[in-house]
Amino acid sequence: MPEVLQAESPAPVLSARRSPKGMAFSRELGLAALTIFIIILFSVLYPVTFKSFGNFNAILRNLAFEGILAIGMMFMLVGGVFDLSVGAMASMIGVITGWLMKNAGWPVPLAVAAGLAVAAAGGFLNGYIVARVRVNALITTLGTMGVFQGIALLIGGPGITFLPESFTKFGQSEVFGVQAPVLLMVGLAAVAHYCLAHTRFFRQLYYIGSNPKAAHLSGINVERLQILSFTLMGLIAGLAGIVYASRIATATSTVGVGAELQAITAVILGGASLSGGKGTIWGALIGVFFMALMKNVLIISRVSSEWQGIILGAVLVLAVALDSIMNRKKS
Amino acid sequence: MHGIRKRFGGVQALNGVNLEVRAGEVHALVGENGAGKSTLMHILAGVHQPDEGRIDLDGKANVILANEHAAQQCGVAIVFQERSLFSSLSVAENIFAGRQPVKWGRIKRKQLYQDTALLLREVGLACDPKTPLSELSAAQQQMVEIAKALSLNAKLIIFDEPTAALTETETAALFRVIVDLKRRNVAVIYISHRLEEIFKIADRVTVLKDGVGQGTFEVSEITTDRLITLMVGRALSFHRAETQDVSAAPVMLEVKGLNDRSLETEVKTVLRDISFKVRQGEIVALAGLCGAGRTELALSIFGARPRDSGEIFIGGQRVEIHSPADAIAAGLAYVPEDRKEAGLFLDMTIAQNTAAGSLKEFGTWWFDDAKGHAKAEEFRNRLRIASYSAKQVVQSLSGGNQQKVVLARWLLIRPKVLIVDEPTRGIDVGAKAEVHNLIRDLARAGTAIVVISSDLPEVLAVATRMLVMREGRITGELNGTDATEEKIMRHASMKVAA
Repeated sequence: MPEVLQAESPAPVLSARRSPKGMAFSRELGLAALTIFIIILFSVLYPVTFKSFGNFNAILRNLAFEGILAIGMMFMLVGGVFDLSVGAMASMIGVITGWLMKNAGWPVPLAVAAGLAVAAAGGFLNGYIVARVRVNALITTLGTMGVFQGIALLIGGPGITFLPESFTKFGQSEVFGVQAPVLLMVGLAAVAHYCLAHTRFFRQLYYIGSNPKAAHLSGINVERLQILSFTLMGLIAGLAGIVYASRIATATSTVGVGAELQAITAVILGGASLSGGKGTIWGALIGVFFMALMKNVLIISRVSSEWQGIILGAVLVLAVALDSIMNRKKS
Repeated sequence: MHGIRKRFGGVQALNGVNLEVRAGEVHALVGENGAGKSTLMHILAGVHQPDEGRIDLDGKANVILANEHAAQQCGVAIVFQERSLFSSLSVAENIFAGRQPVKWGRIKRKQLYQDTALLLREVGLACDPKTPLSELSAAQQQMVEIAKALSLNAKLIIFDEPTAALTETETAALFRVIVDLKRRNVAVIYISHRLEEIFKIADRVTVLKDGVGQGTFEVSEITTDRLITLMVGRALSFHRAETQDVSAAPVMLEVKGLNDRSLETEVKTVLRDISFKVRQGEIVALAGLCGAGRTELALSIFGARPRDSGEIFIGGQRVEIHSPADAIAAGLAYVPEDRKEAGLFLDMTIAQNTAAGSLKEFGTWWFDDAKGHAKAEEFRNRLRIASYSAKQVVQSLSGGNQQKVVLARWLLIRPKVLIVDEPTRGIDVGAKAEVHNLIRDLARAGTAIVVISSDLPEVLAVATRMLVMREGRITGELNGTDATEEKIMRHASMKVAA
């Protein structure tokens, strides 16, 4: 290292502009606080229905599918892109895997492996079109969403029922009263958190999301990483579809309809930004949990399903608006 | 225009400029990059408002040009350097954008096309008014822009570097149009870096330097030399580097026969036959005007732009560079021109920004944030980056300090060769001097440095040797000791053959 400016006396640290404490606010913490507040509030309001282990287990069981998708979606948004095809991908892979084991008679492990391979290939296709051919991610995945959904319906019709027991055993098993899909989600989150927070390779995604041009000039292989993250997203979406099919013993062709928007909503509530470079896996999990909790308390309070959509939509816009206002005040 | 002053933030772009243009004359406006020509013209076209000063137009005293529309109403039209056209629309729709002849709100197609055909004949462009603009060449599009100015019935037309994208025959055609405008008593303001054109077409010339008018002259009574002196002559504002003798030092960077014709058009050469050497400890400046190909050259060497031939040697070894990652691995660093767009991760911290070029050093499986932070703190102190901590977000730093953050990133990778592109653009004088010192210290410590700068005093202050580029070629080489701003400008703005 050339010893630059070594001769000079250690420079005084100039003009502390503002206290570092001002930066401590994060959407993750804000949302976590709000979540705890809601839990306490509804434990008091509905001590019997809400505050039971059964209810919490139900919340968790229902969020496993979206939670797995949200983990993948966080990788996408950190890298400054998103994937609208994940719901359709989950449907398609569930149906393909189901069809292979039921109609083609493949052994279960082989069918699952084949399904995951197709998922990775589909994700790779998305990534290739976005990164190499340079088609906007919105257009690309909007298109492939239609393709994947169509393939799911072609192969599965409305769905493939009565899947073999050796396949459904996993999805329906429980450990300490917690369903296996939930445990899988937690395990996946732990691995994903480690990757995104601690490995150099995935750290590069934050740079790409923040400023792709500067990332390229800093020697980061933007194209390769983008293709890889789409492939990963496809794989995770396929996994979510397979796990869901295993839990309900049916591969439904429309299971993923709207799931992509749920996942994006959750991830953004949990601190990601559509402009990229921001977000953590822990934020994605809180986002998903918060959404599931809101749905649960709305059902318990007997709010009609029409109003549930309205309230959840308003919450999303409000949360992001609040964040935007807080950020503007800071600067 | 009288006593026009304009400030942008901390920069005094114009400081009391007078300009008088007569009907039926071609009035040239010359000056270095950043002398204030464009700002002055933007004020005249209503894009910016002056802080002080008076504009009289066509006998009306003290007119206020509140916006582009008001300026158009007063008969001022500007032919922009960056064409302000819509490529997906037809020629006619472009010329009459927003002003199509209408009846009951419905566009009168027939009249639109007739009017357009008439204007096209005037500028000598033979094409159907219905042709989509995207099918025309750059020069033809320029003519459309001129037709648009004519359609406004302008009494004053401003041409801002109109020939930058034109071939010689097209330039000749443009000159015929200008002569014709003169005959019709239209006043023309002509801005160009090509001094030979000014002697060909202009009647009078006004020189601007650092936002101050240097006087107006009859073209017939002034020489090229005098013009160049007026454009650049000034007291040196930075002290010159003591040049150490590096003639014996090993060559660190050698570029041999580099060409890039990928985007070459008949008018624009991108890079042609570039060869040069930079020795260890040497600071070589690439001087020249905007668009001479300096940044393109740097990006080509760095692997961020294609090149179709040429060899690069670093420390005497031939290296294959196909991407910035290859370049960095070979010991090359590039500090880009536009730090906000291509250099910084604005919403990330100082530490994250400085680590971006050397992520490998901080661990593969467990990224060591503490180490990254410590390194950033070290550089924050060394480079005197005014901030409270390496955890501060870069967006909240001043321009000079942001530039130091980008520099710190490249110092971290300990490059053998450092290319800095416009290192002090838009930063204040104090920070400038610090960046200059930093560059000198790096050279003294053995790095070979290439500085790209349009700021001539800066070039003279830091460089030990200068390469001047014009139109994609190296047109001159000057030694640090005998270079002057005049000599650089001559290589940068005159035809090589002339």
